[in-house]
Amino acid sequence: MTETITHDVIIVGAGLAGSWAAMVASREGVTNIGVLSKVYPLRSHSGAAQGGIAGALNNIRSVDGKLESVPVGESGDDSIESHMFDTIKGSDWLGDQDSIEVMVNDAPGIIYEYERMGCVFSRLEDGRIAQRRFGGHSSPRANYAADWTGHVLLHTIHEQALRHGVRFYSEWQMMELIIEDGVCRGVVAMDILTGELHVMRAKAVMFATGGYGRVYQITSNATANTGDGVAIAYNAGVPLLDMEFVQFHPTGIYKHGILMSEACRGEGGYLLNANGERFMENYAPDKMELAPRDLVSRSEQTEINEGRGIGDDKQGIYLDLRHLGAERIMERLPQVREIAMSFLGVDIIDEPAPIQPTAHYSMGGIPTDVNGQVVIDADNTPLHGFFAAGECAAVSVHGANRLGTNSLLEASVFGRRAGYAIAEFIKGGAKLHPYSGDGVSRQRERLDNFMSKSRQNGNGRGQPEQVAAIAAELKQNMTDNCGIYRTEEKLLIAREKVRELRERFKRVVVMDSSQRFNTELLTAVETEHLLTFSEVIIEGALNRTESRGAHFRTDYPKRNDEQWMKHTLAQNTPEGVALSYKPVHIFWDRYPPQERKY
Amino acid sequence: MTNRTVTVSIKRYNPETDKKPYWQDFQVELTAETTLLSALEDIKSDQDGSLTFRRSCRHAICGSCAMMVNRANMLVCDLPLEKVLDKNDRVTVEPLPYQPVIRDLVADQSSFWKQYERVKPWLVPPEGEHQREFRMTPEEVKALEHAEMCIMCGACYSSCPIIAGNKEYIGPHALLKAFMRVLDPRDTIPEERLDIVCNTEGAYRCHKVLNCTQACPKGLDPAKAIAVLANLGFRTGKISQERMERLRSLIPADEIPVKAAGD
Ligand SMILES: Cc1cc2nc3c(=O)[nH]c(=O)nc-3n(C[C@H](O)[C@H](O)[C@H](O)COP(=O)(O)OP(=O)(O)OC[C@H]3O[C@@H](n4cnc5c(N)ncnc54)[C@H](O)[C@@H]3O)c2cc1C
Ligand code: FES
Repeated sequence: MTETITHDVIIVGAGLAGSWAAMVASREGVTNIGVLSKVYPLRSHSGAAQGGIAGALNNIRSVDGKLESVPVGESGDDSIESHMFDTIKGSDWLGDQDSIEVMVNDAPGIIYEYERMGCVFSRLEDGRIAQRRFGGHSSPRANYAADWTGHVLLHTIHEQALRHGVRFYSEWQMMELIIEDGVCRGVVAMDILTGELHVMRAKAVMFATGGYGRVYQITSNATANTGDGVAIAYNAGVPLLDMEFVQFHPTGIYKHGILMSEACRGEGGYLLNANGERFMENYAPDKMELAPRDLVSRSEQTEINEGRGIGDDKQGIYLDLRHLGAERIMERLPQVREIAMSFLGVDIIDEPAPIQPTAHYSMGGIPTDVNGQVVIDADNTPLHGFFAAGECAAVSVHGANRLGTNSLLEASVFGRRAGYAIAEFIKGGAKLHPYSGDGVSRQRERLDNFMSKSRQNGNGRGQPEQVAAIAAELKQNMTDNCGIYRTEEKLLIAREKVRELRERFKRVVVMDSSQRFNTELLTAVETEHLLTFSEVIIEGALNRTESRGAHFRTDYPKRNDEQWMKHTLAQNTPEGVALSYKPVHIFWDRYPPQERKY
Repeated sequence: MTNRTVTVSIKRYNPETDKKPYWQDFQVELTAETTLLSALEDIKSDQDGSLTFRRSCRHAICGSCAMMVNRANMLVCDLPLEKVLDKNDRVTVEPLPYQPVIRDLVADQSSFWKQYERVKPWLVPPEGEHQREFRMTPEEVKALEHAEMCIMCGACYSSCPIIAGNKEYIGPHALLKAFMRVLDPRDTIPEERLDIVCNTEGAYRCHKVLNCTQACPKGLDPAKAIAVLANLGFRTGKISQERMERLRSLIPADEIPVKAAGD
């Protein structure tokens, strides 16, 4: 039976961002919170993060290239300012510096809070939290728990959310965002177990739905990362920010895309081409393998394109960890070792591991301010009652390229801030706005269409189409034509292909006619989302005739601040994607644009 | 030798339409990259869209994809298919046992999660604001025996013969969590925890069959953790005092002293 469910607050997503917000709002006295997650909360993708979470704790410093713990009482070399500068430089001056300042300031505090809540970090001899190096960071400030950092953070925050009485709707899939007259009023969601649709009304809705890496063929992302929140918000009229910026991680398992943490290079791993050369010498002689991800992935791709790749199709590169020795590998990279054994049959203690660049992180998303409030234009006009944080949001701390360990930090910091803001919003007398619309019937019709018999018979409009085939063609298209290296020519092909796929998608049929736990139906819905935001990525990339961070145009290989130091805003209109732009927040006196060299 | 056709035999069941579970065979192409999960994905996309299973991370960290493979519980995402084929190039896949089936390979884990919440899986830290981290030693981290690595996949739970007959039993997954909390020097309620788990629905019910330890895809040892809890159960009354002492030294000298929190 369809029923209307009412909460003060509905949070969609139970990864770090959503769980932090729920825990904090609840702790602040908001008792009636519902958190939806399409996978069981502990299965959220945050748990897959391996390497660490950034924060200038100054527990470790680098002396003549060697790491040593900073004696108690002595000050280390790291600072909030240095974290800030590294992040700005990493973002290629597309990150909003006011947001970055908030994030790096909050960083040490949130790591201590995790620790106090029971998170099991790796430790130094004297009991402080252990830290390691990470790419693009000038000090060792990745705080870690072996190579399962995200896992322990996620479990810790979920446990504390339970402790504070948060109600979880596990295996519920949000389908639609309800906005009327500029006010957010709730969502429509499906209880996956029964297949029933429900209107869920709330005074405040928050999206924390994670990233959109699944639109690429080779990706490190979980199957849940289909960018639902991003696509659903866009369909509801919310603009999306900087969607063309997609990070490719340099070390995905060859042919699988599964991540070998950057901690591999943080601990000192080498990248080798088919000739056994440490080719990073030619691209980033100073930082070598620890240059930021966009640069390392491009360097790998160049090696591959010029014929120096490895493997049967020459699309791979070697990650060599042998010189670290068995002890260090077992202590610091145990999970990575397991992964390489399972997927490659390679023991990284004895052999180099074949890897390749893999789609990893979505810099773009739903624009927000530093308190998770969604803003809908260049003037930062708030959308009443709608919040977002984590990878689905773009408060724009990462700009054109994210530094490793900064996104666990972002999801935590801005999730926590959104929690406080939501509590204030509710306690400030927010109203439950009326909703009499027919979201449920609209979604029911959409789902029934996928399963309709007439479609299965061809419907007089051509052959029925398979979801899997369309998804596969889309991913291949995005990888080939809108990937690491982009050109106008390729992007135009990408655009045409997506248009074709969108047409064909109208004839998609789902054979599974069951109500109960119908995952084929949900895959169809998710594939529709991939098609929706693919267009936005492509349009943004086509228009941006420069190279910045993760967006590299071979036909415009230089950064062009005069014309392009601005955020892309993409709005859904009946005519298609409409682009406009928004200035980047720069502290001109402190961090003016510079050339980005490593 | 790879690149051949092999058989994946799957136990199917949809309570909406089927009177009882039945076996169905699917042929899949085996390559060097095929995992059991990727084989299931291929079957779903190319042969039968209604095949139902859970998965998400694809690398043994989210805990979604535990199933019974050739009668043993394991994760299927990082499992090379070739490794589990018998001499007839065949593998059998069923949902995790001892729980109701939602559909095909999806088990209803309600009792599993209920027991998880029952042990209060959260840490209850000392009250008060602190400037910095507690000083927990590497040895204290080691003493947790990597229990923090548990991914709550349910492989242990569904291999436990007590669970088979008694859903009131707390189960190895939740007892492992309780072990980790009791041993954590930062926790303020170890005695309360022992009260929750040291009884005949908890640590004292374990028959030491060790199935749980054998089933754990992460190499953890819930059976040992349960034995530790059972032993600590005989020492209740003495642990609080020791914990308070340790708590005091956890906090760097320049910070405020702690008092125990209630929860
Ligand atoms: C393999 C890997 C390793 C990484 N390692 C690191 C690292 O070491 N350091 C670092 O800083 N970052 C790392 N990252 C990035 C980081 O993990 C993520 O950016 C971050 O965890 C995102 O958190 P989140 O809370 O925004 O979303 P997620 O944790 O992805 O959670 C999304 C939530 O939304 C829910 N959801 C989505 N759609 C719907 C819907 N339609 N209905 C209902 N619920 C929905 C999901 O169920 C889930 O609960 C890594 C990423 C990957 C892929
Ligand atoms: S899919 Fe996450 S553990 Fe297998």
